[in-house]
This record gives sequence, structure tokens and C-alpha cells, in this order.
Amino acid sequence: MSRRTARLAAALALVGVTTALAACSTGAGGSGDPVEDGPDVLRVLAGSEVKDLEPMLRQSGVKVRISYTGTLDGAEQVARGDADGSYDAIWFSSNRYLSLIDGAKGRLSTETKIMSSPVLLGLRTAKVKELGWEGKPVSWEQIANAARQGRFTFGMSNPASSNSGFSALVGVAAALSDAGEALSPEQVTAVTPRLKEFFSAQRLTSGSSGWLAEAYARDGGVDGLVNYESVLLGVKGLSLVYPSDGVVTADYPLTLLASATTDKRELYGRLTAWLRTPDTQRRIMTTTHRRPAVPEVRPGPEFGTAPLLELPFPNRRSTADGLITAYLDEARVPSRALFVLDTSGSMQGDRIENLRRALVTLTGADTSASGTFSRFRDRENVIMIPFSGSVGQPRSFTLPEGNPRPVLDEIRAYAQGLRTEGGTAIFEGLRTAYQQAAATANDGRYTSVVLMTDGENTDGISYDDFAAFYRALPEGQRRTRTFVVLFGDSDVEEMRQIATLTGGAVFDARGGSLAAAFKEIRGYQ
Amino acid sequence: MKRSIGVALALLLGAVVVVAVVLGNRNGEGAGGGPVAVRGVIGSEKKPFFDDPLVRAAFAKHGLRVEVDTAGSRQIATEVKLDGYAFAFPSSLPAAEKIRKDRGVATVFSPFYSPMAIATFQPIADLLTGAGLVRDSGRGYQVFDVAKYLDLAAKGTRWDKLPGNTAYPARKRVLLTTTDVRTSNSAAMYLAITSYVANGEDVVNNTGQVTKVARSVAPIFLDQGYSQASSEAPFDDYLVMGSGKTPMVMIYEAQYLSRVFAGDGSIKPGMRLLYPSPTVLSKHTLVPLTADGSKVGQLLTEDPELRNLAARYGFRTADPAAFNGLVAKHGAPAARDLVDVVEPPTYEHLEGLISNIDRLYASGAVPQQESPRGVR
Repeated sequence: MSRRTARLAAALALVGVTTALAACSTGAGGSGDPVEDGPDVLRVLAGSEVKDLEPMLRQSGVKVRISYTGTLDGAEQVARGDADGSYDAIWFSSNRYLSLIDGAKGRLSTETKIMSSPVLLGLRTAKVKELGWEGKPVSWEQIANAARQGRFTFGMSNPASSNSGFSALVGVAAALSDAGEALSPEQVTAVTPRLKEFFSAQRLTSGSSGWLAEAYARDGGVDGLVNYESVLLGVKGLSLVYPSDGVVTADYPLTLLASATTDKRELYGRLTAWLRTPDTQRRIMTTTHRRPAVPEVRPGPEFGTAPLLELPFPNRRSTADGLITAYLDEARVPSRALFVLDTSGSMQGDRIENLRRALVTLTGADTSASGTFSRFRDRENVIMIPFSGSVGQPRSFTLPEGNPRPVLDEIRAYAQGLRTEGGTAIFEGLRTAYQQAAATANDGRYTSVVLMTDGENTDGISYDDFAAFYRALPEGQRRTRTFVVLFGDSDVEEMRQIATLTGGAVFDARGGSLAAAFKEIRGYQ
Repeated sequence: MKRSIGVALALLLGAVVVVAVVLGNRNGEGAGGGPVAVRGVIGSEKKPFFDDPLVRAAFAKHGLRVEVDTAGSRQIATEVKLDGYAFAFPSSLPAAEKIRKDRGVATVFSPFYSPMAIATFQPIADLLTGAGLVRDSGRGYQVFDVAKYLDLAAKGTRWDKLPGNTAYPARKRVLLTTTDVRTSNSAAMYLAITSYVANGEDVVNNTGQVTKVARSVAPIFLDQGYSQASSEAPFDDYLVMGSGKTPMVMIYEAQYLSRVFAGDGSIKPGMRLLYPSPTVLSKHTLVPLTADGSKVGQLLTEDPELRNLAARYGFRTADPAAFNGLVAKHGAPAARDLVDVVEPPTYEHLEGLISNIDRLYASGAVPQQESPRGVR
């Protein structure tokens, strides 16, 4: 994620996005007061998955300044050397993908595992009973068969944005491929039809495992989640399914960067030693439901007694990337992404240029791995809805399977042709998006809306009018979430209300580029 | 073999005595009167030893405060920038030799060594016994037949296909877990063992053999999938996560014995230590880069207190009494006289084997069905 974009700490009671974009530095001092950088401060680049550990670090006696970023973005930053000098250590749920990137290993020094949590399926207890899985060993094969038959639905985070989704994808692929060894690219190709069957039951996606659990707890809408055991144990009413043929486990290695100075190395040593003391390990276990990383602490009863087989993880980046590509382009339920775009007069100049660039980024101009995975994908339907004083003509693009380039070029040309004029009819634009979605509601796509505006509503219907319209929609259409992007002089309060109303989230691009915000939202589409 | 090791140790100790005489004067106090900080880079399996307050106290008596960073031994030999360090302490002689030559260091220290071993679980050992891979040595310990293992692995055998297996019906391949051979010494020592067997029971000693043998043993590394960078991690997984993740793992004997000696309950009933046949000895060798680094090496080799502490961490030292005493006291499953011990290849050939496997990782061209024993 871009350093410059800072997500509005969406403390939106209902929207409740808990992940943070990069550069949201907060200190171990807790509730948001950032630890000032200094010679006695350990600077850690981390994944949002470890955010729940931050308050506990205050007792370590080491000052820690944590900045959060997405798993894949963080891995690329570290591998490129961008983290060297700015950070002393990294802390993601796994170093496995990172280690597959050329040149990354040399940038890492000591790795210390702090805790672990397998990625599992959690289903409503009644559903587990209905499927006859209660108290029985269940394999991924059985899970995939039940998914193909439409006997349950689930939510999972996007494998290109979040480690829990990626781990699940690796696990399901390894189990369904019937391979006893690490997957090869050929095996990925062979198993893709089976993956498609399994993912046909996915009805909710997310850029972060935390948001996924919150969205489920708030809205339901699916029978369960694929997520970390630690997250699932914190969601009421879920029974955990421990697949008998194996899982992929996150091991949260707090990792020193090779570039760290001697003083920082010492801080790192003190912090990791403290984190691995039996007392701290027990506290991590009881407060976060992660399994302990030291043999002196016995896992509690909540983790069950089923032995967990660990599935082999790919040892080549091409295989890992091939899996993500197969998921996005073939296996997942194809998406419909509606972009409601402010082209009012106030957008003139830098702002419209920023918007054009952001859209062009999503057509493949960003050639990093995270950029490639966040571009518009095969089979996707993208609908652009520009608005100013009134709503412009919606334009629909559908990317074919196999050769998306010509359509990506059309989208790029469209973006470059966006012109500004007139007022700001935000809610007319948003209503049009929901009407467009309704017109194609039954084609099985996973539909979501992005609303980007730089100012207040000046024309057309009001927020209240829109809310009334929305509430009158059939239940299925109300499932379409709106992800709002704050930009320029957005009305923050009204934007939050939209996200809350529709179960979406707020992304703040006021401090930086729209491209970074769009890229992050792609995890939720 | 054992005799040659004894000779090597005696020679090293002789060298050490000379160094000890030179460095013998104790002048290690820092300017402020506190201990002098000395930083080294070490193989991860020795970190618990260096972190031990008793070890730190023993060094402090000599005016030193030893701080360590961990890295894979091959990384230490090739990638790690050694300029800021007072010593490098990789886990084997070949890696240390490379550093010694690169840095023009005259004298190195091999204060302790540890044979390569396999940590597993009773049900797994039983299955392997049934499959003919594990047998009793007749000397109070069990051995793991590497030649038979390579045959089994070459056939792609899965756990659930072993006859009569109800104890561990996993669909994954029967593969020893190792660290990443590209970074870590314990995997390189495993490569030393398997290359010896695949080379027709002979140490690989020319480039023609290197190419052939690397291709034949590569699958037992690559088919594991992602392997961790350094030796502490998979053994931790073995202790904490059990057979589901790590049914059998290649380790240093010291890793297992230190846990037995500590009596911390981490070695649970049903955990088993096996010795591969053949095995190799990993000679932890300290390469000093500064005078303070030399002093660390000297103390580790000479100081009786540090030697006794090393034994508590499962290392075998030049003075076997402490180690043997601990084995007897804890009834530890340590082999008293390992007979089937072979030498690792020279640094050059070991590095050649690793680079060949490294290229196969990069190309993805893994020879899947070649018999590792087919090379003669």
C-alpha cells in the first residue's frame, strides 16, 4: 500500500474497518498515540494481522513504532530494499511469500516465531450439523464437494491482498491436487477446475481478514468464513472445521532486517526474548487465540485435539503467483465493479489527473506483483458511472477470459478521456449504480460499488433520499456494498454514513494518491 | 573415521593453545569499566546457548558481553556483511573454512561438535521400522537407513501408502523435513550425507560427480516445498506443533539433547531421536575477525565453565566427561559410539552441490522420477 494513503481509522461503529494503510504509525503506547522515532525505538513494518498485539507490547520495556501495510505490498517493499533504513524489523503473519521473491532473503536477518494460527473453515454450528460434519474428520475434498453442490456459502479474504486468503488458496489447491509434494505450475493448472468448484460457494471477499470477520458478524449473509483459527474463535456461533488432509499455518515471524544497526538489533533481541517468555506466550494465547510458539506453554483446550497436518507450501514464486492468477482469472466468482466517479468542476486540474492515473493503474500500468493482481481481471465486468451536476452515461466493459488486453486498453482510453464540468450530484450517481446493479442482479457476479468524490453533494437527491431508496431495495440488492474514497474536500460524515448504510468501508486518499486507495479497494471487490 | 576426528581435534586444540598464550592477558575491560561488547553472527541453533544468563555471566567474568545475530551458515559464508562483527560462528567446518580463506584469518576454533540426527515420534519410527528404514544398531540407539530412505523417496511414496499405516495416514510424501539447503548448514550436512550415499558410498570429490549427484538428490529438497531458513525453526515446529507439521526432521543432536538435559518438559513421551546411517559431524567452528572475537573462541574452547555449559546445550566438546555425565544422569538417548560417520565434501564441492540444487529451484526443472541411487 502506498505510504501516503492513510485510511481513515474507520472507527465507524458499524463499518468498523480495522486494517490500516501504511504510514498509519502508532506506538505500542496504545490507542493511537504514535511513538516518536528515536535511537531507542524499534521501527517495525507489519501486517494488519498483528495489530491486536500492539497494546501488549507496551509491557515489553522496548519502545516499538509500528507501521502497517498489506502483506504483498510489504513483501515487495522489503524485497526491493525500500524498508532498509526506514525500518529495523518486519512482522507479518508469514515470511513464506516474501522469501520466494528474488533478493528478499539477503535483506532478512534473524527470524523469531511468536505464535501460530492455522487457516481453517468456520461454519455456523447448525450448518455443520446439517452437513453431517459434527465431530467427524472432514477433508477439503468433502468441503469442495459440498461447495460445488451449493450446500453452504462462505467468505474469504482476497489471496492477493491478505495472507489468510493466500494460505487458504495454497491449502485447498494442495489438498485437492492430490499431490504429496509441493505444487508445481503444472499441478496448479490441473487443479484449477477443482478450485473453481470450491470457490463457487464464496459469497464474500475482503482485503483483510479482520474486516471479513467484522462484516460477517455484522451482516451474516454467508454460512461461514475461511480465516485464521484465532479470528474464527473470536466469532460467536461458528464451529471450526479442521480439514483432515491438512492446513497452512501462519507463524508470525518477527524478523530483523539485515540493514538494522547494532542498537536496534539489541532492541529486537530484547523484544523477541520477552515475547517468547512463557508468561507473554500465555497472555498472547488467552487474549488473541493464537497458539503458543514455545513448547513450555501447552495449547489451551479451545484449539481442540485434532492433529493438524501441515500442507507443503510452494517453493517457487512462479507457482505462488500462478495460483493467485488462477484464482483471480478462473476460479473465483467473477466480479462486477461499479465506479461512481466525481467529474465535477472542482475536480479540474490535478484532481482529475489523479483520478485518470488511478484508473489507468488498474488497467495494468502498475507492473509490480501487487499492481498486477489488483488490475481489472479476466471475466470481470467494470461499469464506469461519471457524474457532475447530473449523471453521465454509464459505460460497461467486460474483460474476456484469456485476452483482456484490448478491453484494458479501452478502459484506459476511457479514463484518459474523463472531462470535468458543473456540480456534484453524488447520490444521483450512487443511485444509478444500484439501478445498474439491479438490472443485472441475477448473473451470479460478486457486485460492489466504489464511490469517489472530492466535495459535497450540490445537485439532485439528498443522502436521505438515497438511504430511503436503498432501504427499499430487495435484500439481495442491498448486499452490494459501497466503498467510499475520501478525496479533496469530501463530506466525511456523509461518506461514512454511506459506508455504514451499505456495509462498505471508508478509504482516505486526501493525503495522497487515489491509485493507492483504489488498489486497496480492489481487495474488497 | 572417529580416529581422524580425534586427530583433527587434537591439532585444533594445539593451535588454540598457541593463540591462548598470545591472547592470554586479560585486558577486556571497557573504557567505563564495564564488559566489552562483542558481536558475532552465528548459526541459529547456538542462540539459546549465547542467550543463557550463565553463559553471559561466564563471559562477563572475562570482561566480555557477547551479542549474537543469527543467520544460516551458508549465508554467513557468502552473503552476510561481516565487517561489523567480531566473529563468525557457522555450524560446520566447510563454511568456516570459506570464511577463513576469504578473510585471511590464521586460526579458527572448533570448540564443539554435534552429529546430525533425526527427531521423530514413536508411531512414525514404528512405521519406518515396518518399512525397513529404521533398525536397532545393537549399541543402544536406533539408526535410520539413508540408502533405503532414498529408494523410498525416489518412488514418491506417501505416508498413507505405507503398508498397515493407521497411525499417520497423511497424504503427503515421506520426506525428511530439512531447512533450506541454500541457506542453512543442517540441510547442507544432510546433503553431505545423502550425496555420499548417492555417490555410491563415497565422498563427492570431483565436479563430474557434483553435477550427477546434485540432480539425483535434488528432489528430496525441492519436493518438500517451502523450507525454513535456519535450523532452530523446524525443530521448534517439531516440539510445538508435533507430527502434523513435522513427522521427522533433520537436526543437530545437540538441539534434542539440550532439551532433554534442560528437563523443561518439551521432549514429551513418544518423541524419539534417531541417527542417520551414515551420519556426519557438524563441527561448529568460530572464525575470529577481531582480537575480541579470538578471545571468545579461546574461552569457548578453553574455559572449563563454558565447556560444561556447552555440554548442557547438548554439544560434544574436547572433554567428553561433562557430556557423558549429563547423558547418564538424564538417561538421554544419545549414541555413545557412532560408527557410521562420514566426512562432508570439501567446501568447494559442497558449494557445487548446493549451487546445482539452487539452479534447479530457479528453473523449476526438477527431475521427479530419477532414482537417487541410480548414480554410481
